[in-house]
Amino acid sequence: MIEYYTFKHRGAADEYKDEIFLRLVPNLTVAIFNGNKLDSPKSQSLLFSEILSSDEGNKSIDYLTTVFEECLDKGSEYLILRVEQKGIESIRRGDVCAKIVRQGQISLLPNGYFGLSSDDRIICATSNFFDYLSDEGILADALVAGTCSEWMNMMIRRISDQSQLKCGNLSAVDLRLNT
Amino acid sequence: MYDFSLLSRETIQAIIFALFLFIIAFVSFVIIVLYTLFKYTVYTNKHKEKTKLICDVAYFHERGKRDKQEDSIYVSPMDKMETTGFVAACSDGMGGLLNGEVVSKYVTDSLREHFPYQFDAQTANARIITGISDKVYEEYHLGAGATLVMVHILDDYMNFYSLGDSNIILIRNNRATLLNYKQNYITLMIRKLAEGGLETTEAYRDNRAKGLIDFVGNLKCNVLMTNRPLRLFENDIVIVSSDGVTDSIPLNRIVNHIHFDQNADGIARTLKYGIQTRKNPRQDNYSAIVIKMRRSFV
Repeated sequence: MIEYYTFKHRGAADEYKDEIFLRLVPNLTVAIFNGNKLDSPKSQSLLFSEILSSDEGNKSIDYLTTVFEECLDKGSEYLILRVEQKGIESIRRGDVCAKIVRQGQISLLPNGYFGLSSDDRIICATSNFFDYLSDEGILADALVAGTCSEWMNMMIRRISDQSQLKCGNLSAVDLRLNT
Repeated sequence: MYDFSLLSRETIQAIIFALFLFIIAFVSFVIIVLYTLFKYTVYTNKHKEKTKLICDVAYFHERGKRDKQEDSIYVSPMDKMETTGFVAACSDGMGGLLNGEVVSKYVTDSLREHFPYQFDAQTANARIITGISDKVYEEYHLGAGATLVMVHILDDYMNFYSLGDSNIILIRNNRATLLNYKQNYITLMIRKLAEGGLETTEAYRDNRAKGLIDFVGNLKCNVLMTNRPLRLFENDIVIVSSDGVTDSIPLNRIVNHIHFDQNADGIARTLKYGIQTRKNPRQDNYSAIVIKMRRSFV
Protein backbone atom coordinates (compact mmCIF):
# COMPACT_ATOMS: atom_id res chain seq x y z
CA MET A 1 0.00 0.00 0.00
CA ILE A 2 1.23 3.49 -0.82
CA GLU A 3 0.08 6.46 1.17
CA TYR A 4 0.86 9.97 0.03
CA TYR A 5 -0.13 13.57 0.70
CA THR A 6 0.55 16.63 -1.41
CA PHE A 7 0.84 20.22 -0.30
CA LYS A 8 0.95 23.30 -2.45
CA HIS A 9 0.82 26.88 -1.22
CA ARG A 10 1.37 30.13 -3.02
CA GLY A 11 3.10 31.60 0.02
CA ALA A 12 2.12 35.22 -0.73
CA ALA A 13 3.87 35.12 -4.12
CA ASP A 14 2.17 36.61 -7.19
CA GLU A 15 2.08 33.34 -9.07
CA TYR A 16 2.90 29.68 -8.83
CA LYS A 17 6.30 28.80 -10.16
CA ASP A 18 6.24 25.28 -8.74
CA GLU A 19 4.11 22.39 -9.89
CA ILE A 20 3.40 18.93 -8.53
CA PHE A 21 2.50 16.11 -10.90
CA LEU A 22 1.26 12.68 -10.01
CA ARG A 23 0.86 9.73 -12.30
CA LEU A 24 -0.75 6.66 -10.80
CA VAL A 25 -0.43 4.08 -13.61
CA PRO A 26 1.41 1.84 -14.22
CA ASN A 27 3.47 2.84 -11.19
CA LEU A 28 3.07 5.82 -8.90
CA THR A 29 5.24 8.62 -10.23
CA VAL A 30 5.68 11.82 -8.29
CA ALA A 31 7.24 14.80 -10.00
CA ILE A 32 7.95 18.26 -8.64
CA PHE A 33 8.89 21.05 -10.98
CA ASN A 34 10.46 24.29 -9.80
CA GLY A 35 10.68 27.17 -12.24
CA ASN A 36 11.92 29.72 -9.76
CA LYS A 37 14.99 30.51 -11.84
CA LEU A 38 13.12 30.75 -15.14
CA ASP A 39 11.69 33.75 -16.97
CA SER A 40 8.65 31.86 -18.18
CA PRO A 41 8.03 29.06 -15.70
CA LYS A 42 4.46 28.43 -16.88
CA SER A 43 5.42 27.24 -20.36
CA GLN A 44 8.22 25.06 -19.03
CA SER A 45 5.95 23.60 -16.40
CA LEU A 46 3.35 22.82 -19.07
CA LEU A 47 5.96 21.15 -21.24
CA PHE A 48 7.16 19.15 -18.24
CA SER A 49 3.64 17.92 -17.51
CA GLU A 50 2.95 17.08 -21.17
CA ILE A 51 6.03 14.92 -21.39
CA LEU A 52 5.14 13.17 -18.17
CA SER A 53 1.55 12.46 -19.18
CA SER A 54 2.51 11.28 -22.67
CA ASP A 55 3.77 7.79 -23.54
CA GLU A 56 7.27 9.00 -22.77
CA GLY A 57 6.20 9.22 -19.15
CA ASN A 58 5.98 5.41 -18.99
CA LYS A 59 9.57 4.93 -20.04
CA SER A 60 12.56 4.53 -17.78
CA ILE A 61 13.69 7.36 -15.56
CA ASP A 62 17.01 7.50 -17.42
CA TYR A 63 15.23 7.97 -20.72
CA LEU A 64 12.93 10.59 -19.22
CA THR A 65 15.91 12.51 -17.93
CA THR A 66 17.41 12.61 -21.42
CA VAL A 67 14.14 13.95 -22.81
CA PHE A 68 13.94 16.62 -20.13
CA GLU A 69 17.55 17.61 -20.68
CA GLU A 70 16.78 18.14 -24.37
CA CYS A 71 13.44 19.90 -24.03
CA LEU A 72 13.58 22.01 -20.89
CA ASP A 73 15.41 25.28 -20.31
CA LYS A 74 18.64 25.20 -18.32
CA GLY A 75 17.23 26.78 -15.16
CA SER A 76 14.51 24.15 -14.79
CA GLU A 77 14.69 22.18 -11.60
CA TYR A 78 12.78 18.98 -11.01
CA LEU A 79 12.56 15.76 -9.10
CA ILE A 80 11.02 12.58 -10.43
CA LEU A 81 10.34 9.73 -8.11
CA ARG A 82 8.86 6.45 -9.24
CA VAL A 83 7.72 3.70 -6.93
CA GLU A 84 9.00 0.34 -8.11
CA GLN A 85 8.43 -3.16 -6.72
CA LYS A 86 10.15 -2.88 -3.36
CA GLY A 87 11.85 0.40 -3.69
CA ILE A 88 11.94 3.73 -5.31
CA GLU A 89 13.77 5.20 -8.27
CA SER A 90 14.52 8.86 -8.30
CA ILE A 91 16.33 11.50 -10.26
CA ARG A 92 16.71 15.14 -9.44
CA ARG A 93 18.06 18.24 -11.03
CA GLY A 94 18.67 21.43 -9.10
CA ASP A 95 17.57 22.12 -5.57
CA VAL A 96 14.40 20.04 -5.55
CA CYS A 97 15.14 16.99 -3.46
CA ALA A 98 13.79 14.14 -1.41
CA LYS A 99 14.68 13.05 2.10
CA ILE A 100 14.12 9.66 3.60
CA VAL A 101 13.39 8.82 7.21
CA ARG A 102 14.68 5.40 8.13
CA GLN A 103 15.48 3.79 11.48
CA GLY A 104 15.26 7.02 13.41
CA GLN A 105 17.54 8.90 11.04
CA ILE A 106 17.05 11.22 8.09
CA SER A 107 19.13 11.43 4.95
CA LEU A 108 19.02 12.76 1.42
CA LEU A 109 17.58 10.30 -1.09
CA PRO A 110 20.28 9.57 -3.66
CA ASN A 111 19.69 9.47 -7.41
CA GLY A 112 18.98 5.99 -8.76
CA TYR A 113 17.23 2.97 -7.29
CA PHE A 114 16.81 2.75 -3.54
CA GLY A 115 15.34 -0.26 -1.74
CA LEU A 116 12.73 0.54 0.87
CA SER A 117 11.67 -1.24 4.01
CA SER A 118 8.35 -1.04 5.74
CA ASP A 119 7.64 2.25 7.50
CA ASP A 120 10.29 4.24 5.63
CA ARG A 121 8.97 7.71 4.94
CA ILE A 122 9.89 10.07 2.16
CA ILE A 123 9.41 13.79 1.77
CA CYS A 124 9.99 15.43 -1.61
CA ALA A 125 9.92 19.19 -1.81
CA THR A 126 11.40 22.32 -3.27
CA SER A 127 14.35 23.99 -1.58
CA ASN A 128 12.09 26.77 -0.33
CA PHE A 129 10.13 24.22 1.69
CA PHE A 130 13.27 22.70 3.22
CA ASP A 131 14.80 26.11 3.96
CA TYR A 132 12.42 26.56 6.88
CA LEU A 133 12.89 23.09 8.31
CA SER A 134 15.74 21.43 10.12
CA ASP A 135 16.44 17.76 9.47
CA GLU A 136 15.77 17.03 13.13
CA GLY A 137 12.37 18.72 12.90
CA ILE A 138 11.36 16.72 9.83
CA LEU A 139 12.61 13.56 11.51
CA ALA A 140 10.76 14.15 14.80
CA ASP A 141 7.51 14.90 12.95
CA ALA A 142 7.86 11.78 10.81
CA LEU A 143 8.36 9.62 13.88
CA VAL A 144 5.39 11.11 15.68
CA ALA A 145 2.88 11.32 12.81
CA GLY A 146 0.53 8.43 12.23
CA THR A 147 -0.39 9.41 8.68
CA CYS A 148 1.17 11.32 5.81
CA SER A 149 -1.29 14.20 6.18
CA GLU A 150 -0.46 14.49 9.87
CA TRP A 151 3.26 14.60 9.04
CA MET A 152 2.73 17.30 6.44
CA ASN A 153 0.62 19.38 8.82
CA MET A 154 3.33 19.23 11.46
CA MET A 155 5.95 20.43 9.00
CA ILE A 156 3.65 23.22 7.83
CA ARG A 157 3.27 24.31 11.44
CA ARG A 158 7.07 24.58 11.70
CA ILE A 159 7.31 26.60 8.47
CA SER A 160 4.45 28.80 9.60
CA ASP A 161 6.12 29.49 12.96
CA GLN A 162 8.99 31.10 11.07
CA SER A 163 7.39 32.61 8.02
CA GLN A 164 3.62 32.64 8.60
CA LEU A 165 3.50 31.06 5.14
CA LYS A 166 4.54 34.32 3.49
CA CYS A 167 7.72 32.78 2.17
CA GLY A 168 6.99 32.17 -1.49
CA ASN A 169 5.78 29.02 -3.22
CA LEU A 170 5.77 25.84 -1.17
CA SER A 171 5.36 22.47 -2.84
CA ALA A 172 5.83 19.11 -1.20
CA VAL A 173 4.74 15.50 -1.32
CA ASP A 174 5.29 13.05 1.48
CA LEU A 175 4.79 9.35 1.07
CA ARG A 176 5.02 6.07 2.86
CA LEU A 177 5.23 2.60 1.44
CA ASN A 178 3.86 -0.26 3.46
CA THR A 179 5.63 -3.08 1.69
CA MET B 1 78.37 34.65 34.46
CA TYR B 2 79.15 32.04 37.10
CA ASP B 3 82.69 31.25 38.00
CA PHE B 4 82.62 27.48 38.56
CA SER B 5 86.30 27.45 39.41
CA LEU B 6 85.36 28.74 42.86
CA LEU B 7 83.35 25.56 43.55
CA SER B 8 85.11 22.64 45.08
CA ARG B 9 85.67 19.59 42.97
CA GLU B 10 83.27 17.48 45.11
CA THR B 11 80.49 20.04 44.67
CA ILE B 12 80.92 20.06 40.88
CA GLN B 13 80.82 16.25 40.87
CA ALA B 14 77.65 16.31 42.99
CA ILE B 15 76.00 18.81 40.59
CA ILE B 16 76.93 16.73 37.55
CA PHE B 17 75.58 13.61 39.27
CA ALA B 18 72.36 15.41 40.15
CA LEU B 19 71.98 16.59 36.56
CA PHE B 20 72.59 13.08 35.33
CA LEU B 21 69.89 11.71 37.65
CA PHE B 22 67.48 14.44 36.55
CA ILE B 23 68.02 13.61 32.87
CA ILE B 24 67.42 9.91 33.53
CA ALA B 25 64.23 10.71 35.47
CA PHE B 26 62.99 13.07 32.75
CA VAL B 27 63.66 10.59 29.93
CA SER B 28 61.93 7.83 31.95
CA PHE B 29 58.93 10.10 32.51
CA VAL B 30 58.63 10.90 28.79
CA ILE B 31 58.90 7.21 27.91
CA ILE B 32 56.18 6.28 30.42
CA VAL B 33 53.84 9.01 29.14
CA LEU B 34 54.35 8.01 25.51
CA TYR B 35 53.85 4.33 26.35
CA THR B 36 50.63 5.06 28.22
CA LEU B 37 49.29 7.19 25.35
CA PHE B 38 50.15 4.48 22.86
CA LYS B 39 48.48 1.78 24.96
CA TYR B 40 45.37 3.93 25.45
CA THR B 41 45.05 4.58 21.73
CA VAL B 42 45.47 0.91 20.91
CA TYR B 43 42.88 -0.05 23.57
CA THR B 44 40.42 2.59 22.40
CA ASN B 45 40.65 1.49 18.79
CA LYS B 46 40.37 -2.16 19.74
CA HIS B 47 37.27 -1.62 21.88
CA LYS B 48 35.67 1.13 19.86
CA GLU B 49 32.69 -1.03 19.00
CA LYS B 50 32.15 -1.72 22.67
CA THR B 51 31.67 1.93 23.58
CA LYS B 52 28.16 3.09 24.29
CA LEU B 53 26.30 6.33 24.36
CA ILE B 54 25.58 7.29 27.92
CA CYS B 55 23.57 10.14 29.38
CA ASP B 56 25.31 12.89 31.26
CA VAL B 57 22.47 14.52 33.19
CA ALA B 58 21.95 17.75 35.11
CA TYR B 59 18.88 19.78 35.99
CA PHE B 60 17.62 23.02 37.48
CA HIS B 61 14.26 23.62 39.09
CA GLU B 62 13.67 27.26 39.93
CA ARG B 63 10.76 29.44 40.99
CA GLY B 64 10.23 32.59 38.93
CA LYS B 65 7.92 35.41 39.98
CA ARG B 66 5.07 33.04 40.73
CA ASP B 67 3.83 32.46 44.28
CA LYS B 68 4.25 28.72 43.99
CA GLN B 69 6.57 26.35 42.21
CA GLU B 70 4.20 24.73 39.72
CA ASP B 71 6.86 22.82 37.81
CA SER B 72 7.77 19.32 38.82
CA ILE B 73 10.47 17.08 37.40
CA TYR B 74 11.30 13.40 37.43
CA VAL B 75 14.62 11.74 36.68
CA SER B 76 14.78 7.94 36.75
CA PRO B 77 17.46 6.04 38.70
CA MET B 78 20.72 5.94 36.77
CA ASP B 79 22.07 2.68 38.18
CA LYS B 80 19.99 0.41 35.92
CA MET B 81 20.20 2.62 32.89
CA GLU B 82 21.63 -0.14 30.72
CA THR B 83 18.56 -2.34 31.09
CA THR B 84 15.68 0.01 31.82
CA GLY B 85 16.91 3.04 29.95
CA PHE B 86 16.80 6.56 31.25
CA VAL B 87 13.59 8.53 31.75
CA ALA B 88 13.34 12.27 32.33
CA ALA B 89 10.09 14.19 32.62
CA CYS B 90 8.97 17.71 33.33
CA SER B 91 5.42 18.70 34.21
CA ASP B 92 4.20 22.30 34.41
CA GLY B 93 0.99 23.18 36.25
CA MET B 94 -1.35 25.13 34.00
CA GLY B 95 -1.48 28.83 34.71
CA GLY B 96 -4.89 30.27 35.46
CA LEU B 97 -6.13 27.03 36.97
CA LEU B 98 -6.04 26.01 40.60
CA ASN B 99 -3.79 23.38 42.14
CA GLY B 100 -1.19 23.50 39.38
CA GLU B 101 1.56 22.51 41.79
CA VAL B 102 -0.49 19.59 43.13
CA VAL B 103 -1.25 18.23 39.67
CA SER B 104 2.29 18.55 38.32
CA LYS B 105 3.66 16.82 41.43
CA TYR B 106 1.03 14.11 41.09
CA VAL B 107 2.05 13.57 37.46
CA THR B 108 5.75 13.11 38.19
CA ASP B 109 5.02 10.98 41.27
CA SER B 110 2.79 8.73 39.15
CA LEU B 111 5.50 8.46 36.51
CA ARG B 112 7.94 7.42 39.22
CA GLU B 113 5.51 4.72 40.42
CA HIS B 114 5.16 3.27 36.93
CA PHE B 115 8.92 3.09 36.31
CA PRO B 116 10.45 1.06 34.60
CA TYR B 117 8.88 1.56 31.19
CA GLN B 118 9.27 -0.77 28.25
CA PHE B 119 11.20 1.05 25.59
CA ASP B 120 9.43 -0.36 22.54
CA ALA B 121 5.95 -0.22 24.06
CA GLN B 122 5.23 3.39 23.15
CA THR B 123 1.46 2.88 22.96
CA ALA B 124 1.36 1.18 26.35
CA ASN B 125 3.45 3.98 27.87
CA ALA B 126 1.16 6.59 26.33
CA ARG B 127 -1.77 4.70 27.83
CA ILE B 128 -0.18 5.05 31.27
CA ILE B 129 0.00 8.81 30.75
CA THR B 130 -3.63 8.86 29.57
CA GLY B 131 -4.54 6.96 32.75
CA ILE B 132 -2.79 9.58 34.88
CA SER B 133 -4.63 12.30 32.97
CA ASP B 134 -7.99 10.58 33.46
CA LYS B 135 -7.37 10.39 37.20
CA VAL B 136 -6.66 14.13 37.31
CA TYR B 137 -9.85 14.70 35.33
CA GLU B 138 -11.88 12.60 37.79
CA GLU B 139 -10.51 14.69 40.65
CA TYR B 140 -10.77 18.18 39.19
CA HIS B 141 -13.10 18.00 36.15
CA LEU B 142 -10.97 20.39 34.06
CA GLY B 143 -10.50 22.67 37.08
CA ALA B 144 -6.79 21.84 37.16
CA GLY B 145 -4.24 20.54 34.70
CA ALA B 146 -0.61 20.33 33.75
CA THR B 147 1.58 19.84 30.74
CA LEU B 148 3.98 16.93 30.45
CA VAL B 149 7.10 16.18 28.44
CA MET B 150 8.94 12.92 28.90
CA VAL B 151 11.89 11.31 27.14
CA HIS B 152 12.97 7.69 27.36
CA ILE B 153 16.52 6.97 26.22
CA LEU B 154 17.95 3.51 25.74
CA ASP B 155 21.38 3.10 24.16
CA ASP B 156 21.43 5.24 20.99
CA TYR B 157 17.69 5.76 20.72
CA MET B 158 15.11 8.02 22.27
CA ASN B 159 11.32 7.98 22.47
CA PHE B 160 9.43 11.02 23.61
CA TYR B 161 5.96 11.77 24.91
CA SER B 162 4.28 15.13 25.16
CA LEU B 163 1.05 16.72 26.32
CA GLY B 164 0.58 20.47 26.14
CA ASP B 165 3.19 23.09 25.34
CA SER B 166 6.33 22.22 27.30
CA ASN B 167 9.55 21.60 25.41
CA ILE B 168 11.70 18.75 24.23
CA ILE B 169 14.65 20.39 22.50
CA LEU B 170 17.36 18.59 20.57
CA ILE B 171 20.61 20.45 19.97
CA ARG B 172 22.65 18.91 17.17
CA ASN B 173 25.28 20.50 14.96
CA ASN B 174 24.93 23.84 16.70
CA ARG B 175 21.21 24.06 15.98
CA ALA B 176 18.32 23.74 18.43
CA THR B 177 15.12 22.06 17.27
CA LEU B 178 11.88 21.69 19.16
CA LEU B 179 10.93 18.06 18.71
CA ASN B 180 7.36 18.13 19.99
CA TYR B 181 4.82 20.50 18.50
CA LYS B 182 2.69 22.56 20.83
CA GLN B 183 -0.82 21.23 21.27
CA ASN B 184 -2.67 24.52 21.15
CA TYR B 185 -5.33 26.18 19.01
CA ILE B 186 -2.64 27.83 16.87
CA THR B 187 -1.90 24.39 15.40
CA LEU B 188 -5.55 23.92 14.42
CA MET B 189 -5.82 27.44 12.99
CA ILE B 190 -2.66 27.00 10.90
CA ARG B 191 -4.02 23.77 9.47
CA LYS B 192 -7.27 25.45 8.44
CA LEU B 193 -5.59 28.54 7.01
CA ALA B 194 -2.97 26.54 5.11
CA GLU B 195 -5.63 24.26 3.62
CA GLY B 196 -7.40 27.37 2.38
CA GLY B 197 -4.18 28.64 0.79
CA LEU B 198 -4.01 31.60 3.17
CA GLU B 199 -1.24 33.17 5.23
CA THR B 200 -1.22 32.25 8.90
CA THR B 201 -0.56 35.63 10.54
CA GLU B 202 -4.05 35.58 12.00
CA ALA B 203 -3.31 32.41 13.98
CA TYR B 204 -0.60 34.17 15.99
CA ARG B 205 -2.49 37.42 16.60
CA ASP B 206 -5.06 36.11 19.02
CA ASN B 207 -3.56 35.35 22.45
CA ARG B 208 -6.42 32.99 23.21
CA ALA B 209 -5.13 30.71 20.44
CA LYS B 210 -2.26 29.79 22.75
CA GLY B 211 -4.83 27.90 24.84
CA LEU B 212 -4.09 24.20 25.04
CA ILE B 213 -6.19 21.64 23.23
CA ASP B 214 -4.68 18.78 25.18
CA PHE B 215 -3.05 18.48 28.59
CA VAL B 216 -2.86 16.24 31.64
CA GLY B 217 -6.28 16.57 33.24
CA ASN B 218 -8.17 16.30 29.97
CA LEU B 219 -10.34 13.21 29.60
CA LYS B 220 -8.97 10.64 27.12
CA CYS B 221 -6.16 12.96 26.13
CA ASN B 222 -4.18 12.40 22.95
CA VAL B 223 -0.54 11.87 23.94
CA LEU B 224 1.95 12.98 21.32
CA MET B 225 4.51 10.19 21.05
CA THR B 226 7.12 8.74 18.75
CA ASN B 227 5.91 5.62 16.99
CA ARG B 228 9.52 4.74 16.22
CA PRO B 229 12.51 5.89 18.27
CA LEU B 230 14.79 8.70 17.19
CA ARG B 231 18.49 7.93 16.79
CA LEU B 232 20.85 9.89 19.03
CA PHE B 233 24.48 10.66 18.36
CA GLU B 234 27.49 11.60 20.43
CA ASN B 235 27.37 15.22 21.67
CA ASP B 236 23.63 15.54 21.08
CA ILE B 237 22.05 17.63 23.79
CA VAL B 238 18.45 16.99 24.82
CA ILE B 239 16.68 19.56 26.99
CA VAL B 240 13.39 18.62 28.64
CA SER B 241 11.94 21.83 30.01
CA SER B 242 8.95 23.87 31.02
CA ASP B 243 8.01 26.87 28.86
CA GLY B 244 9.52 29.22 31.47
CA VAL B 245 12.90 28.41 29.91
CA THR B 246 12.01 29.25 26.31
CA ASP B 247 9.98 32.32 27.36
CA SER B 248 13.25 33.90 28.47
CA ILE B 249 15.68 32.27 26.05
CA PRO B 250 13.99 31.71 22.69
CA LEU B 251 14.78 28.50 20.88
CA ASN B 252 16.99 30.15 18.26
CA ARG B 253 19.15 31.74 20.96
CA ILE B 254 19.66 28.71 23.17
CA VAL B 255 22.81 27.66 21.32
CA ASN B 256 24.35 31.06 22.07
CA HIS B 257 24.28 30.11 25.74
CA ILE B 258 25.98 26.78 25.26
CA HIS B 259 29.60 25.85 24.76
CA PHE B 260 29.84 22.50 23.11
CA ASP B 261 32.70 21.25 25.23
CA GLN B 262 30.60 21.78 28.35
CA ASN B 263 29.18 18.85 30.23
CA ALA B 264 25.50 18.66 31.21
CA ASP B 265 26.19 20.37 34.52
CA GLY B 266 27.90 23.31 32.80
CA ILE B 267 25.10 23.65 30.23
CA ALA B 268 22.40 23.58 32.91
CA ARG B 269 24.24 26.19 34.93
CA THR B 270 24.78 28.48 31.91
CA LEU B 271 21.12 28.24 30.93
CA LYS B 272 19.95 28.97 34.45
CA TYR B 273 22.17 32.04 34.73
CA GLY B 274 21.06 33.10 31.26
CA ILE B 275 17.45 33.13 32.41
CA GLN B 276 18.28 34.88 35.68
CA THR B 277 20.22 37.65 33.99
CA ARG B 278 17.23 38.44 31.77
CA LYS B 279 15.50 39.70 34.96
CA ASN B 280 12.09 39.17 33.39
CA PRO B 281 9.54 40.85 35.71
CA ARG B 282 6.99 38.21 34.74
CA GLN B 283 9.36 35.26 34.80
CA ASP B 284 7.44 31.99 34.94
CA ASN B 285 8.84 29.08 36.93
CA TYR B 286 11.65 27.51 34.98
CA SER B 287 12.84 23.94 35.12
CA ALA B 288 14.90 21.86 32.76
CA ILE B 289 16.65 18.55 32.60
CA VAL B 290 19.75 18.69 30.41
CA ILE B 291 20.99 15.44 28.89
CA LYS B 292 24.25 15.33 27.00
CA MET B 293 25.06 12.17 25.10
CA ARG B 294 28.61 11.00 25.64
CA ARG B 295 30.43 7.94 24.37
CA SER B 296 31.94 5.80 27.08
CA PHE B 297 33.22 2.30 27.83
CA VAL B 298 30.63 1.92 30.59
